[in-house]
Amino acid sequence: MRTLVQPGAALQPRRMLEWAAPAGDLRVELSAGQDLLRGLVTALAAREVTHAAVQVLSADIARMAYLTGAEDETGERVATYGAPTWLEGPVVLLGANGILGPGPDGDTLLHCHAVVVDAEGRLHGGHLPPGDCLLGPGGAVALATPLREAAFAAAFDSETNYPLFQPRKIPA
Amino acid sequence: MNEGAVFEEGRLGRIAVVRLRPNEDLVTAIETACREHGLRHAIVRSAVGSLVDAVLETGERTVAVPGPGIEILTLSGELRSGTDGGIAADLRGTIADGKAQVYGGRFRRGENPICITLELVLQEWLPA
Repeated sequence: MRTLVQPGAALQPRRMLEWAAPAGDLRVELSAGQDLLRGLVTALAAREVTHAAVQVLSADIARMAYLTGAEDETGERVATYGAPTWLEGPVVLLGANGILGPGPDGDTLLHCHAVVVDAEGRLHGGHLPPGDCLLGPGGAVALATPLREAAFAAAFDSETNYPLFQPRKIPA
Repeated sequence: MNEGAVFEEGRLGRIAVVRLRPNEDLVTAIETACREHGLRHAIVRSAVGSLVDAVLETGERTVAVPGPGIEILTLSGELRSGTDGGIAADLRGTIADGKAQVYGGRFRRGENPICITLELVLQEWLPA
C-alpha cells in the first residue's frame, strides 16, 4: 500500500471518533429549478438542522459540474481538484453521500460526492461544488440524519494544509 | 418458513462521527476505530473522502486504480463482530479517478490508503 508524505507533521489520533445521539431522520424533497446542495442546505436550515449525515436518494439534474482529484503541482498539498467537468442533462443521480456542518467561514457547508449517469449512459462522479447542480423536472429526494451532541465542523488541518471537517462535541 | 433467509431483529443505536487521517487503510482503520470505541455492529450512513490509490474486488477480479486523489463517491456496507470478538468491515462503493473514470466494487483490506481525509458516519446496530 503506497502512502504519501503530507506537507505538515502527522497529527494524532489517526482515527477520530465522537458519539452523537440518535435523532429522528428527515426525508426531504426538493423541487425542480433549485441547486441540489444549496437547496438542501436552505431546506434543512429552515428545520434548524445544520449538522447532519445526508444521503441523496434520487435526483434529476438539468446541468451540473463535478470535480475529480489531481496531483498538486505546487507541492503545497498531496492532491487538489482538477478543472470542473460540465454535464448537460438529463443527468440521473445514482447515489450521493454528504456531510453537513459549519464550513471554514462559518456558513453551513454540504460536502458531497456523487455518482451520476449522463444522457448517453456514461458514468461520471466526483465532488460537487455548491451552486453548480441545477435540478431538473424530477427534483431530488434526500434523507438527512441530524447529528446531536457531536458532529463535523471545519477546521484548518496543518497535516494536509486544507480546512477539513473534524469530529467535534457540540455543547447541548 | 423461508430457509433461504436469516433474520436478526434489532434496532439502530448511537451514531459515530468518524474521521480517518491520511495513509490509514479504509477497511482496517474503520475496524480499528470501532474496536477502540466498543462499537460491535454498525452500518455506514454516509461517507465522503479520498484515497491515494484504490484496490477493488469485483467477483473474481481485482481492479487497481492509481491515484492520488481518488474520490470516494459512495460507500455502503456494515461492520460485524464475531463471537470471538473480532470485527470485520464489508465495504462496497464507487470511486472516480483523476481522469473522471468511475469504478465500483468491494474495497480490499489493506490496500486503500486515505489521501486527504475520510468523513464517515456510522450507526450502531443493536441485535435484540
